[in-house]
Amino acid sequence: MQSANAVRIDSHAAATLRYIRASMDAAASVAVPGSAGIAMGSVGLLAMVASSAPGLHEYWLGVWLVAAFLGGGVGLALMTRPASLRGLSLYGTPLRKFALGLFPALFGGAVMTAVHWSNGNLHAIPGTWLLLYGCALVSASVAATRIIAAMGASFVALSLIALLAPDSLQMLLLGSGFGGLHMLFGFLIGRKGHERQV
Amino acid sequence: MNAKSRATAPVEAARAKRAKLASVPGTAHENDDATFDRLVYERVRLGIMSALAVREELTFSELKVLFDVSDGNLSAHARKLEEAKYLTCTKSFADRRPKSVYRLTQRGRDALNRYLDHVEAVIKATRGT
Repeated sequence: MQSANAVRIDSHAAATLRYIRASMDAAASVAVPGSAGIAMGSVGLLAMVASSAPGLHEYWLGVWLVAAFLGGGVGLALMTRPASLRGLSLYGTPLRKFALGLFPALFGGAVMTAVHWSNGNLHAIPGTWLLLYGCALVSASVAATRIIAAMGASFVALSLIALLAPDSLQMLLLGSGFGGLHMLFGFLIGRKGHERQV
Repeated sequence: MNAKSRATAPVEAARAKRAKLASVPGTAHENDDATFDRLVYERVRLGIMSALAVREELTFSELKVLFDVSDGNLSAHARKLEEAKYLTCTKSFADRRPKSVYRLTQRGRDALNRYLDHVEAVIKATRGT
């Protein structure tokens, strides 16, 4: 008769394979801190408030471009800080893979912004930004945790709404994405990291 | 089905499974390396080798963060893998601090691949695929 404590040999082997895969993933992935998402989300929400203000509404593109550089800078600073504190190399293979995943779609976003601006299709810019940023996150997630892919997919889903929505809703949708989604996923990543430490 | 045949069915199933497992290629005996199983089987050492399989090199402090082990524990495991020539360790100084960089050797990569083949063979044999 089989003991209640008996462990199937194949379940042990499967657990070993999972451990090997987890070790490889951990060694080859970039740790994205939740604080980066929350900080970038705060910048996004501020940009939404500023660009919706009566005096600044006509300059919404400039406001969001400033916010993009500010948010990107803050996110990069927070992303590289814990890695350096923990002794993980910043310029190794994972970060290179993460950047290679991220930059092509972001470059595409910059090009499409210029094209839309020169053609006067300003209403298409928010949807394009959300779509290409989401694609960038999904691509970069190969060198990060799966939650980054989920965040990217959420941006893509929101972009589809933005591309169909009227102009009056565009600032709200940009704020929901670059503010709300960043903060939500930043909170989820932070909570997951905290649970792992406890 | 009578009581006797019901009682012998699990025994026959276990015998069939043992026969399947017997066909799984061994790791230690086939490679004439008696220390292989114990070296790679241990959790931290398996983790170190797996991590180095996807990264060209990792420092001592990076490995320590990845596996959340003490200095003494990590250096003991790394030394065993070095002695087996599965890893190489390059020691240097960075900002006046000692820095140890580990790399997986071809022998280590082969050992990890053999271990992976063995684990996969166990799964296939027990699941009958």
